[in-house]
Formats: sequence, structure tokens, C-alpha cells
Amino acid sequence: MSKFFNKYSEQINGYLFIFPAFLIIGLFGIFPVFFGMYMSVHKWKVFKGRFLGFENYQKILGDIGSFWIFILGLLIMIASYWVWSEFKDRMKRRIYCFIISILLLVISLYLINVSWATMMQTGDEDFLNSLIYIFYYSFFAITTEVGLGLLIAFALYQKLKGKQFFQMILLFPYITPAVMGGAVFFIIFGKAENSILNEFIGLFGYDPQLWLFDKRKITEILFDVKIDGFFAGPSLALLTSILYGVWSYTGYYAIILLAGLSIIPSDLYEAAKAEGASRWQTFIKITVPLLMPIIFFLLLTGFINSFQAFNHIMVMKTSSAGETMDVVTIEIFDHFWDRVKFGYAAAEGVVLFIILNVLAISQYVIFRKRLNYD
Amino acid sequence: MISFQKKELIIPYIILFIMMFLSVYPLLYMISVSLMTSGEASNQYLLPKVPKFDNYIEVWTSNNFQQYTINSIIISGLIVIGVLFTSIPAAYAFAKIQFPFRDVIFYSLLLSLMIPEIIALLPHLLIIRGNIFPLPFGPSWMNSLQGLTVPFFGNIFIIFLLRQYIKKIPNELWDAARMDGASHLYFLRKVVIPMSMPIIVTVSLFAFILAWNSFAWPLLILTKEDWFPVTVSIYSFIREAGTQYNLLMAASLISIFPVLLLYFFTQRLFLESISNFGLKQ
Repeated sequence: MSKFFNKYSEQINGYLFIFPAFLIIGLFGIFPVFFGMYMSVHKWKVFKGRFLGFENYQKILGDIGSFWIFILGLLIMIASYWVWSEFKDRMKRRIYCFIISILLLVISLYLINVSWATMMQTGDEDFLNSLIYIFYYSFFAITTEVGLGLLIAFALYQKLKGKQFFQMILLFPYITPAVMGGAVFFIIFGKAENSILNEFIGLFGYDPQLWLFDKRKITEILFDVKIDGFFAGPSLALLTSILYGVWSYTGYYAIILLAGLSIIPSDLYEAAKAEGASRWQTFIKITVPLLMPIIFFLLLTGFINSFQAFNHIMVMKTSSAGETMDVVTIEIFDHFWDRVKFGYAAAEGVVLFIILNVLAISQYVIFRKRLNYD
Repeated sequence: MISFQKKELIIPYIILFIMMFLSVYPLLYMISVSLMTSGEASNQYLLPKVPKFDNYIEVWTSNNFQQYTINSIIISGLIVIGVLFTSIPAAYAFAKIQFPFRDVIFYSLLLSLMIPEIIALLPHLLIIRGNIFPLPFGPSWMNSLQGLTVPFFGNIFIIFLLRQYIKKIPNELWDAARMDGASHLYFLRKVVIPMSMPIIVTVSLFAFILAWNSFAWPLLILTKEDWFPVTVSIYSFIREAGTQYNLLMAASLISIFPVLLLYFFTQRLFLESISNFGLKQ
């Protein structure tokens, strides 16, 4: 017996050491996805009901075929990028490569557009809208966060006094719990006409706004035009929650980008200096290209992560904003918490999961050749 | 290095000061409102005429707020302990012990990061209610401490961070220890843990903040107020009609305080691990 233990002691130790973590993560991290799929094909209100097949999906998406066409469209869009990045340097005539990838892009946009329109007509409009809202949220939040983060990172990269202090303060919002942070935003972006924010924008000649209580689309407020559909943009209320996202994550991305700036080898700069390059040239020819992979990477992972935004939106949600703040996580939560439609909510979750996985594939495709210079 | 002349440093400073102001402004405003009378707060004054510190006492002594804060501390503390208990041995095993399927297991666990929390919430709820399989402590974990904490005892993200660090410990140390007849457990306790203290502190902080922020899960499984954490109590405070903003802000400030305090003590480590990790996700 003891011989057995001696012989396999490494293995036994290894499995024993990982067992507790494996048990909990397996049970609460991985099992739920499969169980969610199981729930989604049943009628399930608090307790399990009869088997439904794809009826829930039918209700959500209207036409399941259209959903797959939609996914196909996304994949073709990724493929168009892949073609461009893979073959642009290998082909003698770059123009062919360009034409093919543009063609793919047009096809993908067409497929996405058509399939989405069909789903909108026949499916659960609230859920599909919530996907659009989370797209707005993620897209506007992450681009602003990384853009501002870049600005801050460049500023911090100069030899400043009190760099550590600036960093500490800038990371403040990131560690502020979302519920409490949301509570302040709820007051700052309230509907009072004499609120500080409204007084402030009044200085620039703008009318007081209702912020979190306003469900008008941003295009309507800014340009006074009424558009329907995707290009109408987020409502003012949703935009306010985007501002919260920007507030809380900008410092975080600034710190990461600063780290990215400082791993660019300094001999590159010295070489450039020796060659007599101006500062502007160094910036355009060295800093930006070397930082580009990191920026892209942050944009994409951040975009995917933002799809999970929940806490602060839940806190800042007002009834006057109507459904314009019901992003996909809120919509799912609402379905199984308030309306107790477990099977339906699970099906919505699976749809979200599929979309996120497609986005993750794009992340893999774009970063399969990551630049390594550390 | 790109270096600006003294004069040109003005622009970076201006950018930083604006950003810094925007970063702390909500917090400053929170402090300011928390010292106002309720009239001043609802009229959105910038500053209180006379700072009213009574608000803190009023919040602290009313509405079971003390209880909620203690709940949050217990829940978060327990989660930190639980996470460290499962994660340190696992990270050590993934970094240093050779066993079959090690990397396969590790990467398949990493995949769980891809799963949005919202999807997991539903099955979690059914597990906690004991609908899927019988649970060890009691028929249902609804409204209970174990229900609030146990699901968060395993965290692959934290295992990942620890593993990165433990990997750097030279293998020669283990070879020498094994010559002296040390077991893995002994080596882990006497050498690896003391050497990994910086990262252990950092991940504890991560875990604590994460647990302190948790909101959707407690909201879901708590139907009675006994175990309400501060986040849920503040949420229900906001949702009440005619909320007194000054008290709301005082409560929020009290409940941010522990997190800020921890952050101040560990910010250097925290900064380092964000800059290291962010690029290697």
C-alpha cells in the first residue's frame, strides 16, 4: 500500500491539491452553462415543467434560422478581417486582397441586416432591443475608456512629479463598489432642474436635461431628428450609464496602457534619436505601431466584458427611462426574478452565450499572431 | 524616451488634473451631500451650510445598518478565506506538481471565465435551493451564509494570478526540500506561501472587493433581511419612495470606507498586478 502511495505520490498530491477548487469551479462555473441549456428546452417556472424543444428560442428569436444567418454574418465579418490581415503582404497585388475582403464585409453586413430585420419582426422585440442597447453600451463605453486612457497614459509617461499619486487617484473609481458609485450618479444625474450638472451645462448655453429620467434618443436631443432603429443611438438615460462605465474604467485602462508604453524598449527610441528623427516621427513610427496590438486587444476584451455590465445599471434604472436602459443582463434578470420565467430566461442566456463566443472567436483570429516584444 | 521640455509638461499636467478631478468628484460630492440637511440635499446644493455629522450617526444607528455592514464584513471575509484555501494549493499544483491532464484541466477551468455571470445565476439558484442535488448543510441554502459564500470559494482568475507568481519560484528549492524529506504540503506551507506573500495580499484584496461588490446574487437568494449585505440594503434604500439623499450618501460612504481603507494600504501591489496582468489576459 505504502509502495503505491510512494510511486504515485506526485499524482495524488496534485489531484488532492486541486480538488477543492476543481469541485467549486466545476459546480458553479462550468456546470451552469450545460444546465442552462437543459433548462432552456423546458417549460420551467420555479419547477421543471414539460419538454418544449426549441419553443423558447422560437419565441425569442422569431425564426431560429435567421439567428444562424445572423451568426454566419458575424463570422463572415471576422473572415473579411482575416483575409485582409493574412494575405495583404503575401499577394503581389494588394488590390485583389482588398476587393475580396471588402466584398466579404458587404456580404456580412447584408446578412446581418436582413436576418436582424426578420428577427425583429417575428421575435421578442424587448430582448432583441436589449441586445442593441448592450451593443451601444459596450461600444461607446470601451472606445471612450481606451481613448481617454491613452491620453492619460501618454501624460503619465512623461517624467512627472507625483506619478504614483496620480495613478492612485485615477484608480479610485475602479475600486468604488458599483452600487454605491451608482447611488451618487443617481443623484448627480437626477432630474432636478437646478442640479449642479444642469447648472454647469447651462454655462455653455444648454437647457437643463432629465438625464437618467429621459428616454429620448440622443440623436433626437442633439440634432432634433427622429430616427427609428439602430442608428437612433442610445437614450440619454443609457448614455448616462455609459458615462458611469467610462468613469469607473478609464483609470484602469490608463494604467494598463501605461504599462504597455513602458515595455517598449528604450533603445528603439535612442536609435531613432541617433538617426535624427523628430519627436513626432518617433511617436508615429514607433510608439503607435508598437502600442496598436495592445489597444486592439483592450478594445476587444473590454467590449466583450462590457456585455456583462449589470450592477450600476440596475441601480441607476428609473421607471421614466422605460425599457431604454434594459440591457441584456437586466432583461434576463428581470425575466427570471420578476416574471419567474426560468426556462425562457435560460434560453435568452444561451443566446447571449453564443454571441459572446462568436466575439471571442474574433478575438482569437485577430490576436493569433500577437506581437511579442517583452 | 520621449521627454518634453519643462514648458511642454504643462499640457500633461492639465490633462491629469482634469482627469483626477473627474475621478474624485463623485466621491467628493458624496461626502458633501452626506453632510447636508435633507432639504439642502434635495435642492442639490454644492456644499452644506453647516456640516451635519449627525447624518452618519443617524444612519449607523437606524435601519439595521450596523447589522448590514457586519454582514458584509463576515461574507467578504469568509469568501477571502475560502478562496485562499482552495486557490493556493491549486495554484501550487498547477505550477509545480506534475500530474496527468494538468494543463488540460487548468485551461478548461480557465474557459469558465468566458461564461457571463448572468447565465450562471439561474442554475446557481436551483443548486442553492437544493433542487438539483441534496446539499450538505440543510435542505436549502436560501437566506443563509453558506448560500452567500460557498459559490464564490473557487476563482480561476485568482488561481491564475497565483500560479503566475509561484511558477517563478526556482525548482531547485523544491529539489533541496525533497532531499530533506519534506512533503509538498510542508514545502507549500513553509516556503511557497511566505515567498508569495505579496501576491497573496493582492489577490485577497481583489477577492474582498469583488465580494463586497457582489449584488445580483444576494439580491436573488435573500428574501429576508437577516443576511442583507450593504449593497442590497443601499439598493433597496434608493428604490424607496422619498429617499433622503443625505442619508443615502452617508450610508454609501460608510460602506465604501472599508474598501478604500484596504486600497490605501495595498495600492502599490494593486497597481503592479493590474499593469502586469492587463497585458497578459
